[in-house]
Amino acid sequence: MLTVQIVNGLMEGMMLFLIASGLTLIFGVSRIINFAHGSLYMLGAFLTYQLVPLFSDGSLLGFAVAVLLGAVLAAAVGALFEMAVLRRIYRAPELMQLIVTIALVLIVRDLVRLVWGPNNVSVSMPDALAGAVQIGDSFFPTFQFAIFGAGLLVVALMIAIIRFTRAGVLLRAATDDRGMVALLGIDQRRIFTATFAAGSFLAGLAGGLASPFGNVNYLLDTEVIVAAFIVVVIGGLGNLYGALAGALAVGVIKSLGVLYFPRLAMVLIFLVMAAVLLVRSMGRRELQR
Amino acid sequence: MVDKRFELSRTLARAALAAVGLAMVAAVAAGPARAADPIRIGLVAGISGACGPLVDGEVKAVELGVDQLNAKGGLLGRPIELIKRDSKTKPDEGAKLARELVLNDKVDVLTGTCSSAVMLAVSAVSKELKTPFYSTIGNSQKANIEAFQPYFWQTQAHALMEAAAAAEFVAGHADWKRVVPMGFDYEWGHTSVDTFVAHLKQLRPDMEIADPLFPKIGESNMTSYITAALAQKPDVVYAAVFGGGLINLIKQGKSFGFFQRASLVTLMTVDTMQALAKDMPAKGVSGYARAPFFELMGNPKAKAFVEAYRERYGVYPDDWATSSYDGLMYLAAAIEAAGGTDADKLMAAVTSITVHGLRGDALKVRDFDHLMNAPVYVGDVTTDSPYGFPIMKNVVRIDADKTMPSKEQVEKLRAAAQ
Repeated sequence: MLTVQIVNGLMEGMMLFLIASGLTLIFGVSRIINFAHGSLYMLGAFLTYQLVPLFSDGSLLGFAVAVLLGAVLAAAVGALFEMAVLRRIYRAPELMQLIVTIALVLIVRDLVRLVWGPNNVSVSMPDALAGAVQIGDSFFPTFQFAIFGAGLLVVALMIAIIRFTRAGVLLRAATDDRGMVALLGIDQRRIFTATFAAGSFLAGLAGGLASPFGNVNYLLDTEVIVAAFIVVVIGGLGNLYGALAGALAVGVIKSLGVLYFPRLAMVLIFLVMAAVLLVRSMGRRELQR
Repeated sequence: MVDKRFELSRTLARAALAAVGLAMVAAVAAGPARAADPIRIGLVAGISGACGPLVDGEVKAVELGVDQLNAKGGLLGRPIELIKRDSKTKPDEGAKLARELVLNDKVDVLTGTCSSAVMLAVSAVSKELKTPFYSTIGNSQKANIEAFQPYFWQTQAHALMEAAAAAEFVAGHADWKRVVPMGFDYEWGHTSVDTFVAHLKQLRPDMEIADPLFPKIGESNMTSYITAALAQKPDVVYAAVFGGGLINLIKQGKSFGFFQRASLVTLMTVDTMQALAKDMPAKGVSGYARAPFFELMGNPKAKAFVEAYRERYGVYPDDWATSSYDGLMYLAAAIEAAGGTDADKLMAAVTSITVHGLRGDALKVRDFDHLMNAPVYVGDVTTDSPYGFPIMKNVVRIDADKTMPSKEQVEKLRAAAQ
């Protein structure tokens, strides 16, 4: 039973990482807390819902195509938003930037409701992933293993890009010291737009990938954003590896909580978050002395 | 000359003033009796927020019903005016809007609330401003028991009744020996689980009842709850969940092979079956429902409603729509019986009339807790359906006399709450 819950927690954690990765990437580079991350996730889910029937009659490849296309469209929305709105307010106080992203939340939510209506919709599971894998006398959904694999792939790709490409070098440089990058004559605006698009792509990808595993409706945005923030805060804002560790930890804590303290499972996660914040802020104070 | 002219204009002015005054007095006197003065219904509902998907059907059905009544000349010769407000599924917002509707828009009746929390907040306003208020979705029993107030009535089976009906259904399966209860982690979920467990213990003392699980409302990832429930090797899982969270439970449960190993008994409304469509498991899901249209088609009134709804909106009505329409027609009958919208006369009519509605030919509201004798429908979900989405088969209508708490029980609960 313990192993079942741990495996399960890791699976859920990877799903959370997929959501949180884009959020932490955007924050790392542009210091923007993007409240609209959940909206882009939701958009990815709805676009997948719309596109799946066009490409897939239960085939895995068609599903993958629909998800990727949905994610690309979400990235386009993100890039457009960055160029049209966010770019103009990077010098504004942080609160202002936060409010602008909340405006995007409201706009996307109303548009989604207008296009797809207020009711729940369901994306069908691709046939190949519909079954369960038996380990011992427990069953695990094939789908969760696929998500875990997709999560690992995203981590590997992100590390590869960040470590070994010029774009990655610029990204790291911009995360470390924005001013220095500008002094070197690199157009910061392009870095910011690209990062925001990449983060939006990851959000859309997560939304599309998760869509067959549950319900899709216009309220997904806020459900998702809270979980993503918890993960990112535990992992350290802007820290990719931290987000991965934080996501897996949250998944496992939740599933063990359900096993041992069924009535407190949700509270546990917030307690861990509070503890992490407390320890970190104390550490900072130590440093300042 | 100047004085005279002044005198003349003053006289004229006085005369004019008097005429205007007289006209005003006449208008005021005629006001309440004038035939065209509309009956105003204030609908406060979570048009946005967590209740959005449920309220959609409610609003559609109420708009249809109001238009139908107006097409027949309104009620008592007065047209009906529907004023909608979005509570955003927030109790304080709902209470504020209800107050504005009564004080500024002069509504005669309030309705609409979906979340129990908003319902209780609006009920408090209804009590304070002595404005009749009925609920067709939100169904916390608190409004009928501890927080009861004389201007409220409930046109649904409340949470205790639904949980009792679910217990009856589970107890009726002799081959089910172990049950895991589950509920959303808020007032409604806990009350439902507690009532279900208490009722089941009486009906089936032999049944093993595991510790309940409480996922948060709308939980997007139910997997740890699914594995925890399956680890108990249950024959059946009772789940007081609904909407998106329920869809997550079913879809994720399906990939765990849940429905090959256990059955699920849960609140199963038409909108959930429409949303799941072909993703619904072919067996293993049973449900209790409030107003499943496909079970009501034998009733000509219900059939006419379903057809009118389809013609106007192009879809079949979900339970929220059907029961909200039923609630509106009950109100219409009460207004006609009361001969107007005077709050006290209307409430007297509400508890004395019997209405032939969509859910039966003898709907009425009890006087000591203002609860309608609404039935609960239980059955097994099947994908074999003529409607293009799953429905329920082997449906049993559990009448309210089996599930409604007795007067003594209600009084005991009220005394305990004080």
